[in-house]
Amino acid sequence: MVGVVGLEIHAQIQSTSKLFSGSHVRFLAPPNSLVSHFDASLPGTLPVLNRRCVEAAVLTGLALNCTINKKSLFDRKHYFYADMPAGYQITQQRVPIAVDGILVYSHFEGRKRNQVVTKSVKIKQIQLEQDSGKSLHDDERSQTLIDLNRAGVGLMELVMEPEMCCGEEAAAAVRELQLILQALGTCQANMAEGQLRVDANVSVHRPGEPLGVRTEVKNINSVRHLAKAIDYEIQRQMEVLQSGGTVLNETRAFDSKSGFMPEPNLPPLFVYESEASVPGGVDPAQAVVIDRLSTQLPELPSVKRTRLVETHGILQEHSFTLVVFQEMWKAPEKKVGQIVKEQDLWMINDKEELQKICQRVVDSHPEEVQIIRRGNKKVLNKLMGEVQRETKGRTDPVKVRAILEKMVS
Amino acid sequence: MFCKCAARVSRALRPAHPRCGVLTLPARSDTVSASGTSWSRWTYKRESSNSAWNSKVPQVPTWEPVAENQLPPPTRVSPDLVDKLERLALVDFGNKEGVDCLEKAIRFADQLHVVNTDGVEPMDSVLEDRDLFLRDDTITEGECAEELLHLAKHTVEEYFVAPPGKNNNNKNTITKKTSCSIRT
Repeated sequence: MVGVVGLEIHAQIQSTSKLFSGSHVRFLAPPNSLVSHFDASLPGTLPVLNRRCVEAAVLTGLALNCTINKKSLFDRKHYFYADMPAGYQITQQRVPIAVDGILVYSHFEGRKRNQVVTKSVKIKQIQLEQDSGKSLHDDERSQTLIDLNRAGVGLMELVMEPEMCCGEEAAAAVRELQLILQALGTCQANMAEGQLRVDANVSVHRPGEPLGVRTEVKNINSVRHLAKAIDYEIQRQMEVLQSGGTVLNETRAFDSKSGFMPEPNLPPLFVYESEASVPGGVDPAQAVVIDRLSTQLPELPSVKRTRLVETHGILQEHSFTLVVFQEMWKAPEKKVGQIVKEQDLWMINDKEELQKICQRVVDSHPEEVQIIRRGNKKVLNKLMGEVQRETKGRTDPVKVRAILEKMVS
Repeated sequence: MFCKCAARVSRALRPAHPRCGVLTLPARSDTVSASGTSWSRWTYKRESSNSAWNSKVPQVPTWEPVAENQLPPPTRVSPDLVDKLERLALVDFGNKEGVDCLEKAIRFADQLHVVNTDGVEPMDSVLEDRDLFLRDDTITEGECAEELLHLAKHTVEEYFVAPPGKNNNNKNTITKKTSCSIRT
């Protein structure tokens, strides 16, 4: 039996304002301060599409070898949830902005993990859609607190074909996608901050036989966790089947294909191949031109790595490490050691320093600490994410978790 | 909800009562309203022989009754479908009257099948031939938390508050159902 993994990725578009309104896009802000009348779904408000978000989707589509649909449409997906005041999400279900792409990624195999294997996964489509607000569940008082700051932020949903077999492949694909999005500047792709959200659809089957029942793996905030969670789920499903049971699919009610209707307030979105193909009546400042955006594409990570190997004669597996140090590209004559010191990239292993940082995070998140103390252990992941963020990922998650757990209890 | 005249029409599939839907024109001089202005302006235009104004509203009803045999078989709404619809729409209509009304409404809409749509692309927006306006990526709104929070009956420290769902098989039904009683 083998595992089958398909990823659905939501990438928050790096833009100043939201997808359909002029409110600011920002991670940390007082609750409900970055909310316009449209974001709050007040009657009489209408969506106005942000050109930067369209360009971000086209750039991402081009980088992933997609076909850009010159005409794409917006739809409403209806479901009820407190963090979505309109009762529907504006998305692109029927005709999205980009389809049929490929993500090429590599991962290490072999006992010494030094053999580079190149794989690819097909991208079914990329669609523009709205993000929802955030809900904080207060189980003790049986209430849910809603912050709409994130409601209406632009997302690119990337749907991949279920062509991966395990957590490691999924992790490698996501890491490559993060590098690409960061190089394009269309998404900062930080999983801990929720800028990149990955849902994995996991099933198992015997090759040649029909696909098995899928379950979803969600709410993962790091690539490492993603790989572990996927592998755990594959293992669990195999054990269930091997002992004669059946895998239960607990898909939510609103994941069904119903509840869609065209968005009547938005005409079709047109993007143009070249300056020449923009019709006379269209304002040139308004037009999104694919050729113009193509010229803005930066050198993608895979191209960088190839260039490194060929120009500097380094080992292919080392090119992967080097590409992550973005400073290299700004000043190629610097040495690695110098850069690591300047960018302060060494791991923080000093126990006292770790304690100090963790204490800072705990002190600045009293609400989350309360929620954890009341029994919701999952919120600890948020605090861990904060520590990782503050230290730019230079800490060992196992150590950090131990320290935080002690501090919170 | 479903309007009374829809229910009435669907029962008989006859042209609507004259008071419903189609405007009938009042006689020339005897319908000037108390306020005077709007109606008299309108009748004035009606009387003017070189008026360019041309009402799109037909002067007499143009309906023709649609025979039952022109329609597809009637749709029956199964109890399972009622449950699913109630869950998706958060509406209570799972009683005989409610289901009856829904089936009649579907029957009324079945009349659309009489129209030949071969080779015609469905229209999903009357804006289909307009240009979609794209705005610049600048901050023009927001920073009105107080104004928005004032609209809610119950808030907690600058957060809106939502009650947890009653159907706790999945925590996604986080709102209550509205009950829908239909009078035909």
